Amino acid sequence: MTRAAMPDIDERLDEDVDEDVDTERPWIVLVWNDPINLMSYVAFVFRKLFGYSRQKADKLMLDVHHKGRAVVSSGTREKAEMDVFRLHEHGLWATMQQDD
Amino acid sequence: MVRRRRPVAFARSGGLVEVRLGDEERDLVANLAGQFRSLLSEDAGPDQRRLYPTAYLDDPERDADYAALVHDDLLRSRLEAADVVSATVGNETLDPGELEQWMVVLNSLRLVIGTRLDISEADEFDPEAPDVAERSLLLWLGLLLEEAVEASLGFLR
Repeated sequence: MTRAAMPDIDERLDEDVDEDVDTERPWIVLVWNDPINLMSYVAFVFRKLFGYSRQKADKLMLDVHHKGRAVVSSGTREKAEMDVFRLHEHGLWATMQQDD
Repeated sequence: MVRRRRPVAFARSGGLVEVRLGDEERDLVANLAGQFRSLLSEDAGPDQRRLYPTAYLDDPERDADYAALVHDDLLRSRLEAADVVSATVGNETLDPGELEQWMVVLNSLRLVIGTRLDISEADEFDPEAPDVAERSLLLWLGLLLEEAVEASLGFLR
C-alpha cells in the first residue's frame, strides 16, 4: 500500500496541550491502536463514518497500527465530540484534544 | 489490531447479504446476542471498559461530562443492535443496515472478550491454554466480522 505525503503530526501531538483554551484553535480527533479491533474493521469504520476513500482509510488505519494513533478528523469542539461519539459507538478508541 | 484471513460467512447478493451460517452457528450467535444484552444491563464492570472509552485524556472533568452525556445513547444503540441480531439470526439474507448491526454486536463482543482475556497483539493461539474456549470464540467472532466487513464494502459509496 502506498503512503501519501502528509505533514508529520507526531511532534505537534507530543507537546503539552495549552491550559489556556483558545476557542479559535480546532479540535482534533485521534484514534488509538488497540490489540483487539481488526484492521479491516477499523478501515471500514473510517470509510463509513467519514466517507474517506479506501486509500485514505487504509492509510489512517495503518498509521494507527504502526504509530499507535492517527488524527482522523478535526473541527469545532461540537463536531469533534460527535465524531468521537460515533467512533465509540463503533467500538474504536477515539479521543479529542485541541490542536496546537 | 489483528489481521485475519477471509472465510465465507456472508456473501453480498445484489442489495442484500446472504448469511451462510449453519444452525449451530446461528444458535451460538443468538445465544451471544442474549448474553451481550444481559451484560449491558449490568453495571459496567471492567469487562465493559472498551465499550465506554475515555474521550478527553487530559481533562477528567470534561471526560466525566462526556461520559454522562453519551452513556445512555451508547447503551441504547448497542441494545438495538442486539435486538436486530436476535430478530434476524434465522434469516437467509440481511439488508445492509441489519448487517451493520450484526457488526456492532460482533465487534462489541470481541471487545468484551478480548478485554476479559487481556489480549495483546503478540498473542499466538495456544490450543493448550486454559482459556482456549474463550480464545477460540474471539477468533471465530473475528472471522465473522472480517467477512461481514468484506460483504459491507460493496455497499459503500
